Amino acid sequence: MAQGKLPHCSVALGALLLAWGSVWGLFYAPAETYMGDVQRIMYVHVPTAWNGMLALTAAFVFAVISLWKGGLAWDSRLEGALEVGVVLCTLLCMQGAIWAKPTWGVWWDWDPRLTTTAVLVFAFGGILALRQFVDDPVKRATWSAVAAIIAFADVPIVYFSVRWWNSLHQVQSTPATVSRAFHWPLRINAFGILFLMCGLIALRARLAALRREEETAPPLPAAVPHGSGLAQGMVP
Amino acid sequence: MNEGVIRDGWAFVWAAYAVSALILTGYATSVFLRYRSTRRKHEQVKP
Repeated sequence: MAQGKLPHCSVALGALLLAWGSVWGLFYAPAETYMGDVQRIMYVHVPTAWNGMLALTAAFVFAVISLWKGGLAWDSRLEGALEVGVVLCTLLCMQGAIWAKPTWGVWWDWDPRLTTTAVLVFAFGGILALRQFVDDPVKRATWSAVAAIIAFADVPIVYFSVRWWNSLHQVQSTPATVSRAFHWPLRINAFGILFLMCGLIALRARLAALRREEETAPPLPAAVPHGSGLAQGMVP
Repeated sequence: MNEGVIRDGWAFVWAAYAVSALILTGYATSVFLRYRSTRRKHEQVKP
């Protein structure tokens, strides 16, 4: 398989797995004893959380390598991971709000887990916004890598917030903490979003690299006026 | 009394899956379209 099509295949495989896991979770997995059918939101919410955090961890790794090696190729990967991470974390907050309403009675609460996740979205979203205002590609790469490393400090805080503080949000759901009957749709959707995330980061990084090439390309020569002599190859 | 059990939550389940499908499909389509248009533009400019 040509390497150029690998991200497309990853996205297609991710979409198929996600569709399969969602159908399993919606129609074949049993309802939870207390939450009933509402618990089925877990099959999209938890994999989105895992992969959102993973995308932002990838952004952190790319930021460190970008600063260390100084290559603009790592900056393109950083941009890809940042955007995909922000999209997944925004989706995570929306799914969480929809799950919170029937279980907690409110769409949103300033609970430590929710608050730290919102901070995460705004911090990394802010870095994406910052990139739009810096024209110099080298400065943009350095500043966004430094900002991404600082913002990443919130990722472990989000993860441990449910253990450190008395949170309304339950502790992390993993195959070890949920019933065996829920394992397969959870795992299939986790791999589905993982493939989707990897493919989209790769494509988004290529897009960033192409745009940077356009930015750094030398300007095209000015058009020669018709009939000036120069157009006919005459030496002035 | 519901005895602490949530009933009739399907509307929320459909809403969560619909939002997920909409955002993931929309974002993936946007990345594909942006990538394709930038690549075409890039190929036209390249000598």
